Amino acid sequence: MPMVRFDGVSKSYPGGKEALSKVSFELARGEFAFLTGHSGAGKSTLLKLMLQMERPSKGQVFVDGDCVNTMKSSQVPFLRRKVGVVFQNHQLLFDRTVYDNVAMPLLIAGYQPAEAARRVRAALDSVGLLGFERRNPIELSGGEQQRVGIARAVVNKPQLLLADEPTGNLDPELSEEIMKLFLRFQQVGVTVLIATHDIALIERMGHRRLILDHGTLHDSGTLHDSGPRAGFERGDHVRT
Amino acid sequence: MSAPDSPKRQTANAPRKPQAGASTHKISIKDRLNGWAQQHQLVAVETLMRLLTKPLGSIMTWLVIAISLTLPGAMWMTLDNLSQLSNRFQASGSMSVYLKTAVQNDQAQQMLSRIESMDGVADVRFISADEALAEFRASSGLGEALDLLPENPLPGVIVVEPELALPQQDVIALADTLRSESRVDSVELDTAWLDRLHALLALSERIVWVMGALLALGILLVVGNTIRLSIAARVDEIRVTKLVGATNAWVRRPFLYTGLWFGMVGGLVSWILLAIGWALVSGPVEDLAALYGSEYRLLPLSAGAALVLLLGAMLLGWLGAWWSVVRHLHRIEP
Repeated sequence: MPMVRFDGVSKSYPGGKEALSKVSFELARGEFAFLTGHSGAGKSTLLKLMLQMERPSKGQVFVDGDCVNTMKSSQVPFLRRKVGVVFQNHQLLFDRTVYDNVAMPLLIAGYQPAEAARRVRAALDSVGLLGFERRNPIELSGGEQQRVGIARAVVNKPQLLLADEPTGNLDPELSEEIMKLFLRFQQVGVTVLIATHDIALIERMGHRRLILDHGTLHDSGTLHDSGPRAGFERGDHVRT
Repeated sequence: MSAPDSPKRQTANAPRKPQAGASTHKISIKDRLNGWAQQHQLVAVETLMRLLTKPLGSIMTWLVIAISLTLPGAMWMTLDNLSQLSNRFQASGSMSVYLKTAVQNDQAQQMLSRIESMDGVADVRFISADEALAEFRASSGLGEALDLLPENPLPGVIVVEPELALPQQDVIALADTLRSESRVDSVELDTAWLDRLHALLALSERIVWVMGALLALGILLVVGNTIRLSIAARVDEIRVTKLVGATNAWVRRPFLYTGLWFGMVGGLVSWILLAIGWALVSGPVEDLAALYGSEYRLLPLSAGAALVLLLGAMLLGWLGAWWSVVRHLHRIEP
């Protein structure tokens, strides 16, 4: 069972703009892939579909074997606990400490405070921010804030890690550092999908690439055999 | 509230390599319940501290709730006292025993001493027909017209004062006994004013309920509005928590507790206001009662009523928060 499967997924917004058309692909468990494309190609929409932040107009989205688009809203929180997300604007809360930001998914999931504290320290350690617990995220640099966001995304040990332009605001060196961090999570079994338009970085790192062009998907191929990828074949005739 | 928030089981066959420092992902049911209870406790304390450490934002809400509660509370206290007082009056209704015109004064005097020795009679007084006429002549101003009457048309009257503590049914029984006397024409129990008082009390009670209901609605609206503002101020936080897997119950919880605390603080402030009001009024009431030769004391709000007031306030605060949360939270999605 693949970690993620998109099956003929289209998404159009009211007003007729089609963000995704007939996108199909699979991500195997433990796979590491990039999602690229120009601004507005539909990268964010694709990620949001996996968290039921959006629902597809057509087709089906599966995460960990569960169909996301038909999932009852009462089940959505439990889906989101399995998926760590990192945003370009990192979505940290500046009215509380780094510790409280990172611990939030654990408190929500009902962890005991002692266990939560241990995991928060482990997560901060993994992003190189041990000792930053009592700081306010607003005092931190862009790269550090991004790493706090990553720590929050991985603190609950998600099976799937999604990142939307995680290096968007960072210089090349920091970007590479962040990418290496994501690779380390893949090495311990996490499925990772990173949306980015930083082509140079992707070229240096290799790995599978899913390329979105005006809502249609082209797959660069992958080390894993992850089944038919209809998006590639259908890519040409969908734009109107 | 919905089921405890808990991490869903992870698929066991996921090909994961062991991670340094990672222990099992599963949480036992006992730990979940503990975590849930702890979460409630944490949220309860946190929301209360937030209110108490930053009272400026919510002090108006507290006062509005307190005043909305104090008004019906004070009316309730007043009615409570009036009905206590009227219970005392019930027994003290004096009765007028009208004798037949043929009864002579010395026969009336005999009756007087007999009635005086009856159970439950505190005092008796005889007003002879002549005295009654003289009194009527003086008070009516019909002096010369009355002289034209061939004889005195007024009967002699014995005024009977029952004992203060005598229950009403015994007073009525006493009246019936006197009515059956052969020399008695009729007995009038002076209760009409009491009936009127009771009707007035019942009406006032109804008014208190209607006012209370309106003010309760006001509390709902005020708490609802305050919670709406507090939701608006925490939109970012709500989005982030939902994004990392918060259930709706989890997101609602702090707001519901905030509503509960609003109600509680408002209820306590209203207790204080009622106590101050009671202290201000009870002195003069005692003075007034003393002038009437009574040892009547103004009763404070009973413990039961005070508890109902506080719990009702908490319930209203919670409901107001619920109403607001249901209307506004679902619109905030990541």
